[in-house]
Amino acid sequence: MPEIRVTPLGAGQDVGRSCILVSIAGKNVMLDCGMHMGFSDDRRFPDFSYITQSGRLTDFLDCVIISHFHLDHCGALPYFSEMVGYDGPIYMTHPTQAICPILLEDYRKIAVDKKGEANFFTSQMIKDCMKKVVAVHLHQTVQVDDELEIKAYYAGHVLGAAMFQIKVGSESVVYTGDYNMTPDRHLGAAWIDKCRPNLLITESTYATTIRDSKRCRERDFLKKVHETVERGGKVLIPVFALGRAQELCILLETFWERMNLKVPIYFSTGLTEKANHYYKLFITWTNQKIRKTFVQRNMFEFKHIKAFDRAFADNPGPMVVFATPGMLHAGQSLQIFRKWAGNEKNMVIMPGYCVQGTVGHKILSGQRKLEMEGRQVLEVKMQVEYMSFSAHADAKGIMQLVGQAEPESVLLVHGEAKKMEFLKQKIEQEFRVNCYMPANGETVVLPTSPSIPGGISLGLLKREMAQGLLPEAKRPRLLHGTLIMKDSNFRLVSSEQALKELGLAEHQLRFTCRVHLHDTRKEQETAMRVYSHLKSVLKDHCVQHLPDGSVTVESILIQAAAPSEDPATKVLLVSWTYQDEELGSYLTSLLKKGLPQAPS
Amino acid sequence: MEPAEEDWLVESLRLYQDFYAFDLSGATRVLEWIDDKGVFVAGYESLKKNEILHLILPLRLSVKENQGLFPERDFKVRHGGFSDRSVFDLKHVPDTSLLVTSGLPGCYLQVWQVTEDSDVIKAVSTIAVHEKEKSLWPRIAIFSSVAPGVLHGVRLSSLQVVDLESQKPTYTSGVSDSEELSSLQVLDADTFAFCCTSGRLGLVDTRQKWAPLETRSPGPESDALRWCAEVGGRGQGPGPHIASLGSDGQLRLLDPRDLCHPVSSVQCPVPTPSPNPELLRVTWAPGLDNCLAISGFDGTVQVYDVSSWDGMGNRIEPLFTHRGHIFLDGNSVDTAPLVTTHTWHPCKPRTLLSAASDASLHVWDWVDLGASH
Repeated sequence: MPEIRVTPLGAGQDVGRSCILVSIAGKNVMLDCGMHMGFSDDRRFPDFSYITQSGRLTDFLDCVIISHFHLDHCGALPYFSEMVGYDGPIYMTHPTQAICPILLEDYRKIAVDKKGEANFFTSQMIKDCMKKVVAVHLHQTVQVDDELEIKAYYAGHVLGAAMFQIKVGSESVVYTGDYNMTPDRHLGAAWIDKCRPNLLITESTYATTIRDSKRCRERDFLKKVHETVERGGKVLIPVFALGRAQELCILLETFWERMNLKVPIYFSTGLTEKANHYYKLFITWTNQKIRKTFVQRNMFEFKHIKAFDRAFADNPGPMVVFATPGMLHAGQSLQIFRKWAGNEKNMVIMPGYCVQGTVGHKILSGQRKLEMEGRQVLEVKMQVEYMSFSAHADAKGIMQLVGQAEPESVLLVHGEAKKMEFLKQKIEQEFRVNCYMPANGETVVLPTSPSIPGGISLGLLKREMAQGLLPEAKRPRLLHGTLIMKDSNFRLVSSEQALKELGLAEHQLRFTCRVHLHDTRKEQETAMRVYSHLKSVLKDHCVQHLPDGSVTVESILIQAAAPSEDPATKVLLVSWTYQDEELGSYLTSLLKKGLPQAPS
Repeated sequence: MEPAEEDWLVESLRLYQDFYAFDLSGATRVLEWIDDKGVFVAGYESLKKNEILHLILPLRLSVKENQGLFPERDFKVRHGGFSDRSVFDLKHVPDTSLLVTSGLPGCYLQVWQVTEDSDVIKAVSTIAVHEKEKSLWPRIAIFSSVAPGVLHGVRLSSLQVVDLESQKPTYTSGVSDSEELSSLQVLDADTFAFCCTSGRLGLVDTRQKWAPLETRSPGPESDALRWCAEVGGRGQGPGPHIASLGSDGQLRLLDPRDLCHPVSSVQCPVPTPSPNPELLRVTWAPGLDNCLAISGFDGTVQVYDVSSWDGMGNRIEPLFTHRGHIFLDGNSVDTAPLVTTHTWHPCKPRTLLSAASDASLHVWDWVDLGASH
């Protein structure tokens, strides 16, 4: 029974640790390999024992696909490939390939250097893991092997994020990863064609939310920054080199221009170089508007935003500074933070999630007294603001995407079934598809009916047409032929041709049936009666009366005989070949009903 | 972003303390609170299934301190259900997990249940309504007590209170007056207020045979096609506690002790007449003295301070006008959106929720610019 099997791996229901196993037409694909950021022990990794039971991962899995660079989608990759062991191909987009190792290394440093963890992957492991990566372009069909192909679609969300279609023959699965359906200032909205996969797999974490508009989030950010600088305070915004930083810079630049503000905005130099570098490389991934302006001028050279010098941190008066790293765990952003934390007029805006162990994580948990190196205690009097700018699809977005792709079924991962019943009903009603919600570790089995194309030989087709009867769209016609499967090819040919090709002799099977009739006349007359009767009843068939007295209906032969014992009984011998089984049986039962009385 | 939209957003930094904008999958005419953390919304389209949603407000609106540490600005859909007919009114039965809805066709009220162990809102029973009116639907209000009752009616003559559990009527108006109702409001365990579309207002004590304290209808001098009203100010000082709004933009204040003589009447600066007088709404602010809000004339919600009003027919200016539904037009539809309903947050004094015909839903906390000086 052909089927598609899907198992989300790992325990626990919360977000993080995206890792989904898909089996499709005998191929096994792993989708994402994420880390759960809330745990410090093995619970942060997906449960690979589920697959390792089947033997070596490299033999079992045909490929691994990574949707984007967020750690809850790729954080466990070096652990998986180098410590558990996998040597097969790992597919991801070009930007993801460039950015992943940087984030993985950052994360490794925090875990090992800051938190002193043992049994963590090393820098070398990250490098070795990335050697197994095969980068793909958008909308490019990539042949993983003879039968398995994959294709990446634009997902929005972050730079390089993609949705993937996995196809074997006529069966396909689409995995969305994280995506969003509303464009933002530097990334477009996700898009997919009407590819009609058997199954669409999507995250349900945000499926039960209704998102606040982008404008209002931006407004909130601008308001906080504006209020702080108006009262003479300084704003620190720790960022990663990519993505969100650009977005916020564009926003501030527009606002500063609008309001004719003179307060300085700084961007630490390391950031500018890296950001420009990456954006130039991956300009196809940003949205149309940016691409146009990029051609005109370098969008990432701002009028109001200048390069930062560490001495500026001591300048009096208001200012806004974007600095790395994003979680305040080291470097310039931490330095600046230490200088500014003691003044309640100042503000730090954290634009994203911070890993446990970092100063960012501590202040976002509400800690106001921090122990720094050398037992120094830092009192945090500055305002701490946690803002979320990440773009995710909500309930409306999911419905839009399902409407675009037109899958046969939908599967939601990372949700609690009790809290998703309404969404399930909504999807099922709106699109008339089945909706599945497996728990982690639970396997969903989807039966499929793959279509297998076969060719019909011209000779056979012509012969059928020659039968004279026109094909009718609503009435199935019985066709006799032989299906030959050779070299992954299916051909329907006539039996004679098949026998010839296979070098076999033809055998004929002939059936004969006796029908007893009460008739006192001679057998020739009985035969005549049979002929008249059949001629009037079987208008669609060729009924003939042969000179030797026998009657034929198509190729079926009917002969009348008189058994010697009883002159009042006649026996009809009805004889047909195996091919004419249907007609033969019909004739027999018809004749058994008896003949109409002949006029005398 | 369109320049007009951008202008308004920059202005909004000054005008609002906080502002959230959401896009529902279908426009709503109801905003009903359940405790102070969640609201119900419901669709009102006639030819398709409508959704009833229980939305939990973003956490940062509910926490008392450290709001800055809560990044989520999204509504959570905690429960959802499907209604085959349009929903024009929805009431939560306090201290129960039941909801009552009214819509078209108007020959029955639907009772729903919201449970903890599932996120689906289930239809559980119906309450029959005697009159079968083609295009009118019964107004509803809830008498909450140990045995809750549903007050409903299309006209004064069909006013009835039905016990929710036994489905038996416990009170009927018993009058033949066929004036059409526009709103019903339960005031305490025994009294309720009604407002007719003609502007006629009354306070009824259910322990007595029908003998309401009443106004006269505004009469021929009023151009208004339709009126609605709200009784407010419980717990506030003395003064006019009843506000009555007409589709011609007239707003009257009345004192329950003398309903025949309005305390004041003003002309609101709104486009008149209202394009859909059924959407008229006037609400008293639970957390501010002498403040009310009106909507239903265009895409705005206007907040007024009534303490300085006196006399009749004066033009007044709103304390604040929310224009978000006009400027944040994400869908770029041709027709300007119309505000379908609004409500005040029960605890945060200057926070309101407003919904419009383009399926937008806003949560906004306005700045009292007058107070800062």
